[in-house]
Amino acid sequence: MKVAYYPGCVAQESGKELDMATRAVAQVLGIEIVDFPTFSCCGSGFIDEANQTLNVALNARNLAIAERAGIDVVMTVCSTCQGMLAHARHTLAKDPVIRGRVDQTLSKIGYSYRGTAQPKHLLQIIVENLGGAEKIRPLVRRPLTGVKIGAFYGCHILRPHDIMEFDDPEEPRALEDVITALGATPVYYRGRVMCCGFPIQFVKPETGQRLAGNQILDAKRNGADAMATPCPLCHISLDTYQKEAGKSVGENLDMPILHFPQLLGLAFGLDPKTLGLPRHMVDPSVLLNKITMVSAPA
Amino acid sequence: MTQVPFEILRNDGKSGQSHFQSFVVDVEENQAILTALLKIRSEQDPSLAMRYSCRQAICGSCAMRVNGKSRLVCTTMVGPEFRAHGKIRIEPMLNQMVVRDLVVDQTPFWDRYNAVQPFLIHDPSHPMPEGKETRMSPEQVEQFYETPRCIACAACYSACPAVGSDPEFLGPMALAKLYRFTVDPRDTAYHQRLQSVQNQKLWLCLRCNLCVEACPKDVRPAERIVDLKRLAVQEIGTPEHGSRHAQKFLTNIEDGGVLNETKLARETLGLFGMLGQVGKGISMMRHGKSLKKHPPIQGVSEVKAIYADLNQPEDLKGRQRPAGKGVKGGEQ
Repeated sequence: MKVAYYPGCVAQESGKELDMATRAVAQVLGIEIVDFPTFSCCGSGFIDEANQTLNVALNARNLAIAERAGIDVVMTVCSTCQGMLAHARHTLAKDPVIRGRVDQTLSKIGYSYRGTAQPKHLLQIIVENLGGAEKIRPLVRRPLTGVKIGAFYGCHILRPHDIMEFDDPEEPRALEDVITALGATPVYYRGRVMCCGFPIQFVKPETGQRLAGNQILDAKRNGADAMATPCPLCHISLDTYQKEAGKSVGENLDMPILHFPQLLGLAFGLDPKTLGLPRHMVDPSVLLNKITMVSAPA
Repeated sequence: MTQVPFEILRNDGKSGQSHFQSFVVDVEENQAILTALLKIRSEQDPSLAMRYSCRQAICGSCAMRVNGKSRLVCTTMVGPEFRAHGKIRIEPMLNQMVVRDLVVDQTPFWDRYNAVQPFLIHDPSHPMPEGKETRMSPEQVEQFYETPRCIACAACYSACPAVGSDPEFLGPMALAKLYRFTVDPRDTAYHQRLQSVQNQKLWLCLRCNLCVEACPKDVRPAERIVDLKRLAVQEIGTPEHGSRHAQKFLTNIEDGGVLNETKLARETLGLFGMLGQVGKGISMMRHGKSLKKHPPIQGVSEVKAIYADLNQPEDLKGRQRPAGKGVKGGEQ
C-alpha cells in the first residue's frame, strides 16, 4: 500500500533512529512510503494550548498536501502526531466556525481541504490495513522467543477514544498482539496506558520524570526485558531522561526502550545498526544479546 | 443467570492492610456491577463497605475501580467486563485514602473543588440591572454545556496520573468547574480566576485524556483544561513555564515549519535554566542525538502565510462550540 509518510519533528532530529527503522521495516511490510518535504510540525499539543485555529490550520494543510497527491493514508510514527492530525480532522468535520476560518486561510495559499486523507499510525496500519498482527508473523526471521516486552502506548494514539477510533482507550491490545506475533511475550502492567510525563517536562521536570520512572519501574517489576513505544516523545521521557527518571523513584532502571518499528525490525532480522539502536541513551546490548542468543536469524 | 467471579479489595480500615477477597455471584450479564455488589453484601458478606445511593448516575456516590478503570458501578454492566476478563476485580478509587473497603476519604477532592470558588462571583460595582434578572443567551450557555452535567463522582480524579504525582495540581473536575465559571457571562472574576490557577494548579495537566474516558457524564475535563489554558495565555500572558512553552512552541514553528528543539528549550527555560541542560545536551550528542537546527521545510512561506492570517487572538469567550454527543454510560 502507498502512504504519505509523516515522520514528525523528533524522528527528523534527536530521534532519527525512528525514521531509520521506519523506512527499513516499511520495505519488509510492503508499505510504499511517499515523502513530502512540505509537511510542517503537528503542533504537538502545545500550539493547540495557545491557538486552536492556527493549530488546526497547520494540520489541515498537512492533510491537504496528501489529498492533493491523491493519497488516502497519512502514515504517522508518533502517537502525538497521530493525535494532533486526528484531532484536527475531527474539528474540521464537527466545528463549522473553525472549518470556515481554516478554509479561508488555506484558499489563500492554494489548498483546499476535503477530509479524504486519514492519518494512521504505523501500528494502526498493521491492524487495519495489513490484516492484523497475525499477518506479519510470516515476515519474522528472528523470533523474539523468551523476550518479555512491556508495551507503552503513548496517550494520544488511544484517547479520547471517540476521536482516535482505535483500540480500547484503557485496555488496548494492538501492541501486545504484535509483540506476540513477533514471538516475544507481552508484559501487562498498569503503566502501559499511562502518561510518560513528557508534556510537563518544562513545567515541572521532577514530576514528569517521576511519572516516567514509575511506568518503567512498573514494567520492570512485572518482568519486562525492554519496553516498546509507538511514540518518540515517550521515548525521550523513557530513554533520554531515564537516568533522571530512575533517580526520582530511587532505582537504577537500566531498561532498554525500543521504538515500535525497531521492535519489528529486530524480529524481521534487520541489523540493529540499520535500526539506529546505537543512538539510544540506555544501552540495549543486553537485550540484543538475549535476542541473538535465543534466536539467530534463520 | 451467570456465575461471575469477583475479586474485591478489602481493607478493615484499622490494620492498614489490604487483601483481595474472592466471591462468586449469580447475576444477569445486563445487570449493573452495583447490583452484583449489593447481592454479595446481602447474601455473602454484610461487612462489605461501599458508597452508593441513587443507582442511576445522578448522585455520583458509587465510583470505584472496575478491572483497573475508574467507573460508576451503577452504569457499568457485568457482561462486558466479565467477558473481557473472565472475572471482575473491584478496587477503591485511587488518589484518595481508603477509609474501609471501597470507601475513600474524599477530602482532598473536595478541597480542590472548593479552591476554585465554584460559585458565581459578582462584583458589587457591576450591579445587576435594576429589577431584572441577569440573562444569558442560548449561545452563551452553549459555551459550557458539558460542565453542569458533572455529578462530582471523582472518577476523573481517581484516573488522573497528574493528581497522583503532584499535590499542586487541582485535578480534572475542579478545573472543569473553574472553566464553567470563568466563561459564565454573569461572573465578574474572570481575570482573578485565571490568575489563581497559575502556574502548576493548571499547567501540570498531562493531556493524557484518562479523565475523558473515566467521566460518566462526558464532561471531557481534559478538553476544558485546554480551553482554560487558551484563556490564560490570552488574559494573563506567559509569565511561567507552561504558558511560555505553549507560546514559544507556536512561534518556533513559524520560523522553519519544523521544531527547533534547542531553541525551544532555551526560550522556555531562559539562559539560566539552559545551564542545567548543558550536561544532558553533551551526553545526547555523544549518542548521536544531533541537536542542530533542522533546515526549513519546503513551502515554509505557506506556513508563514497561515501564521500571518491566524496568529492573532481567537474569539474564545464568544465562541460557539459544536454540540456534544451527550451523556455516556448505561449503554453497554
